[in-house]
Amino acid sequence: MSRLRWQLAWWLIRAQFLTRRTATALAMLAIALGVALGYAIHLINAAALADFSQAMKSVQGEPDAVLAAKDNAARVPLALINEIARDPAVAIVAPVIETRVRVDHAAGHTADQAAIHPGAPVKLIGLDIFSAAAVMPGLLPRQDGGSIFEDGVHASPALLARLQLKVGAGVTLTRGAARWRTRIVGELPAARPGDLLLVADIAWVQARFGPPDAVSEGRLRLMPGTRPASWRESWSGRLPAGLTLRAAADDTQRVSNISRAYRVNLNVLALVALLTGAFLVFATQLTAVAQRSTQFALLGVLGLSPRMRLLQVLFEGLAIGVPGAALGLALGYGLALAFTRVMGGDLGGGFFSGSTPVIAASLLPSLGFFALGCAASLAGALYPAWLNRVQPLAQALKTGFAQRPPAVHGLRQRPRRTLLIAIVLLALAALGLTRLPALYELPLAGYGAIALVLVLGIAAAPLVTQIVFGAFARRALSAPQRVAVQNIVQAPLMAQVAASGLIVSFALTVSMVTMVSSFRLAVDQWLDTVLPAPLYVRSKGMPLPQELLAALDQPAAPFARIERTAHGALSLDPQRPAVVLLVREMRRADAAARLPFSGPVVAVAADRVVVWISEAMQELYRLAPGQTLRLPLLGREVDTVIGGVWRDYSRQFGAVVIAAADYLALGGHFEVSDLALWPRRGEEAAAKAWLAAHAAGYGLDIAESSEIRALSLSIFDKSFAVTYALEAAAMLIGLFGLAVTLAASVWLRARELATLSALGFDRAMLTRAVMFEGALIAGIGLGIGLACGIAIGAILTHVVNPQAFHWRMELTIPWLQVLLGAALTLAAGVIASRFAARLATRLPAAQVLASAQ
Amino acid sequence: MRRRDFLLTPLLLPALAMARDAVRYAAASRATRLAFPRDHGAHPEFRTEWWYVTGALDLPERDMGFQLTFFRSRPGRAETLDSPIAASQILFAHAAVTRPGAGLLHAERAARANLGAGFSATDCDVHIGAWRMQRSGAGPQQSLHLAVHDAAFAFELLLQPTQALLLQGDGGWSQKGPRPALASHYVSWPQLQVSGSLTLDGRRQAATGRAWFDHEWSSEVLGPGSVGWDWIGINLSDGGALMAFRIRDSTGASVYAHAALRAADGRLTQFGAHDVSFTPLGRWTSPRNGASYPVRMEIRCGPHTIRTAPVHDDQEIATRRPLPISYWEGLVIIEGTLSGRGYLELTGYANSMNL
Repeated sequence: MSRLRWQLAWWLIRAQFLTRRTATALAMLAIALGVALGYAIHLINAAALADFSQAMKSVQGEPDAVLAAKDNAARVPLALINEIARDPAVAIVAPVIETRVRVDHAAGHTADQAAIHPGAPVKLIGLDIFSAAAVMPGLLPRQDGGSIFEDGVHASPALLARLQLKVGAGVTLTRGAARWRTRIVGELPAARPGDLLLVADIAWVQARFGPPDAVSEGRLRLMPGTRPASWRESWSGRLPAGLTLRAAADDTQRVSNISRAYRVNLNVLALVALLTGAFLVFATQLTAVAQRSTQFALLGVLGLSPRMRLLQVLFEGLAIGVPGAALGLALGYGLALAFTRVMGGDLGGGFFSGSTPVIAASLLPSLGFFALGCAASLAGALYPAWLNRVQPLAQALKTGFAQRPPAVHGLRQRPRRTLLIAIVLLALAALGLTRLPALYELPLAGYGAIALVLVLGIAAAPLVTQIVFGAFARRALSAPQRVAVQNIVQAPLMAQVAASGLIVSFALTVSMVTMVSSFRLAVDQWLDTVLPAPLYVRSKGMPLPQELLAALDQPAAPFARIERTAHGALSLDPQRPAVVLLVREMRRADAAARLPFSGPVVAVAADRVVVWISEAMQELYRLAPGQTLRLPLLGREVDTVIGGVWRDYSRQFGAVVIAAADYLALGGHFEVSDLALWPRRGEEAAAKAWLAAHAAGYGLDIAESSEIRALSLSIFDKSFAVTYALEAAAMLIGLFGLAVTLAASVWLRARELATLSALGFDRAMLTRAVMFEGALIAGIGLGIGLACGIAIGAILTHVVNPQAFHWRMELTIPWLQVLLGAALTLAAGVIASRFAARLATRLPAAQVLASAQ
Repeated sequence: MRRRDFLLTPLLLPALAMARDAVRYAAASRATRLAFPRDHGAHPEFRTEWWYVTGALDLPERDMGFQLTFFRSRPGRAETLDSPIAASQILFAHAAVTRPGAGLLHAERAARANLGAGFSATDCDVHIGAWRMQRSGAGPQQSLHLAVHDAAFAFELLLQPTQALLLQGDGGWSQKGPRPALASHYVSWPQLQVSGSLTLDGRRQAATGRAWFDHEWSSEVLGPGSVGWDWIGINLSDGGALMAFRIRDSTGASVYAHAALRAADGRLTQFGAHDVSFTPLGRWTSPRNGASYPVRMEIRCGPHTIRTAPVHDDQEIATRRPLPISYWEGLVIIEGTLSGRGYLELTGYANSMNL
């Protein structure tokens, strides 16, 4: 018996696949797409993270604790390193001085040789060979490369290749005013292929570039049996202000935090793809159930239990989901592989640029994504399966599929009020969710609200249909139009399925377009404020050359005005990425003109140190203007007053601005790394030429504000590329759903249509009737989708973006794009319904009518 | 010259070859009069220096051996570099515990001075991290404190003198070769009373015993053609102390030898090269490197003839830092015309010490 049942199940599945080849394949593909996207995002990110922490390990080793300053301009005093070393629980303290230097050929060479290797800053690590051996073996120089205690640096193979230098070459290392003429005395055999590194003895680095009597970091290895956490705890109370003992695991955590919000957003997009897959399964299975209602009824009469009828449809759903998910895994793996080959490990977030990660699939996540794909298809099959179970057999045998099973027949009669109340409650719930704060620093409530809005849209569809078509039906219409309208009003399930596909896909598209264009406009306006000067000069990660700064001070320099900026990094929380410290040459009174404040600017007493924080910092650390903020500046805790909060779209983890004068008064050293330049009137071209001449060979970025603006916007557009692709996919699926459900409804109404043609409807009229029906459904779907899309766009803009990325912006709805998109979709919908119309016109009317008797 | 200098040589070999001309090391001088506690401290102007404590414990177990050595090396590098952490003075430390019948535990550390390590130039106080050797107090109340912490073992020991310092050679000037230029300053402190604790297998136990302290500094000791040396320092059971060494050439013949015997009553007898001989009686072959060490040795100093019996055959120390190098250094029981417990050191058997 059981074998027979399986055989029956298999026959039905096979028959279903054979008769609905395209629909099944497309549903499968949609599931595959959802799984593939999610899986690829997971793989790429896992690989990029692994790669990043690997790189970190090779440079930093695997210490049990890292002693560092919270302010990257501050240092760890030698005395403290020596004190901690004497703790019996400490096995080794490996002190390190890390800095960035420009590398040039030995002195006496000309600019054209400098051009061989534009002097991009290179990381120089000063280490102590005795302690480094145990903690950072990846940085050890080759043993036969001469003594590391000598004047000389060891270079990674990748750096030698990049600089086109060989061991033995003379080089000049420059950082600001400090200069070290030395020689490359050896290689770093354990350096990873992509590492651009110089390693030298810590004392030589200190003597040439400082800091005196201090180091950048102490990396500690504890004695076996010591619990690192409690040891760090015991010391953290005794550390001088401005220093922190962090776990190496904090670094991995921090790296993971860097891309978390971005990753989650991409995964939500993948989930959307999966949901549309589930919808397609729903649509195809529903039509399949409808088309086979007589078949199933017959089987039911012959003894197939309702439970088996339910299971059969679920089986069919799984039969779509399993191969779909498997295909998705393969596709996702291939996608991830191709993506990392071409673009590296960066998904457009800009967080992992430069890395070349290795994609490695692990079992558990793969199984997870596989299960997700299967679950989506099962979920899609759930309702049709239930509908199949509750079909009244006798009626199905006689008149075909009942779109509403007897149990819910009352629904249409149910007072509109109930539906209205449900809709209002849903809307209130969605509104409530948007008011909730982020959970685990993720806008989970926001995503929930988006889901509710979609449910709301689908739930409201019958109501809207009735209202709109009620009005339509009262008008004088042509015969095909009346047929279409009547049909929609009478059989709303098929219409609803088709409409809800469009509602969801169009809502998602509109919301993304709205969010992206709001964001883009906000960035555009923001760039105006943050790029006030015509010309900018920037050096990456190191101070600007002294020669250039000195030349700028000369009267001959063709600039009316120069504003200098220095960069630092403050670690306020070891598990979060550091906050960017911007030391800017500006007066307090100018703050409002220089920073795009998003709220009030607080007047601060002249004797207090004022700082201006970015929105991200305000949100991450829960700060408010006027509040006192204790900052770990220059190796001590400094009480500052928050003078205002400004908008910042470039530093997601927070930035704080301090006036250069205040910073100098605190004892800071103003190491200029950025310049904003205003050429003298009429000397713009001369100014550019002057800069080009004076900055040659230093590897500096020189750009006009327009170039920076264009670059910023192009980066912006690139980072939303994935989003656009998903929008297109969603729209295609929505349209396909429309075509499939229309075709199904035509097939179901074969008798009715045959009757119509017998009554004198010609082909054109039939075509028009079906196409008009398609247009009406598409119109309803698009209308509701548009409303939902704008609501979701608002949620994305006002809830998801601020909570995930701490970016706030105004909502701007790109009406032209949205309406154009709606018109195009409508047109496409009409064209898609032609497919169904053709089916209607090819019905062998006589045969249909004959068989109906 | 003598012991651990060779430990430093592999790392510093290229440095020494080049640096010798550039750096002027102080030379051990017969005219120097040592003064204490100043001369317990470091002599950074010399190339090499070590503080060396060996001992035999009675508790927690009889004839358990221990040693702790701090070496200071001035490689002649980075001397003019304007940095407080220039690698101009480097410290190494070796610590070991011998459990009779069970074997030897060994640990080592290395660091440059002022970067997790340091030494005093006015008294014996040298440390690498938490490992430390420090003298304190004055006269009969003075003591040496030793601290070693390693994963496998740890000890905190207090060493109290029962006798005066023993200045080796001529008032602490100790000739190391046929030429007087090859010499060191050498101070010993035998018969130190040991108390404190020893941690083994995570178990901390009270420890008592007898120890021997050596402090030696020099700039040039090993002549050309020498490949290694045999050395012994013995706390005699009658309260006396005997130190003897010889420098060997590649044939195993003595290039130079010397011994000093201080009786319990303080009478000091010195033995010249002709009065001192080392004769292997029994060898132990290292399973690690095949080196054959004459761990059973007959040593003759003038009228005295003694034999060594190691408490454990395998007391070879195979160090990785800075480069793999092996030597034998361990607790031996002394029998013969004199009896007691001493530390025997045999070097240049596994690797030629040719400079």
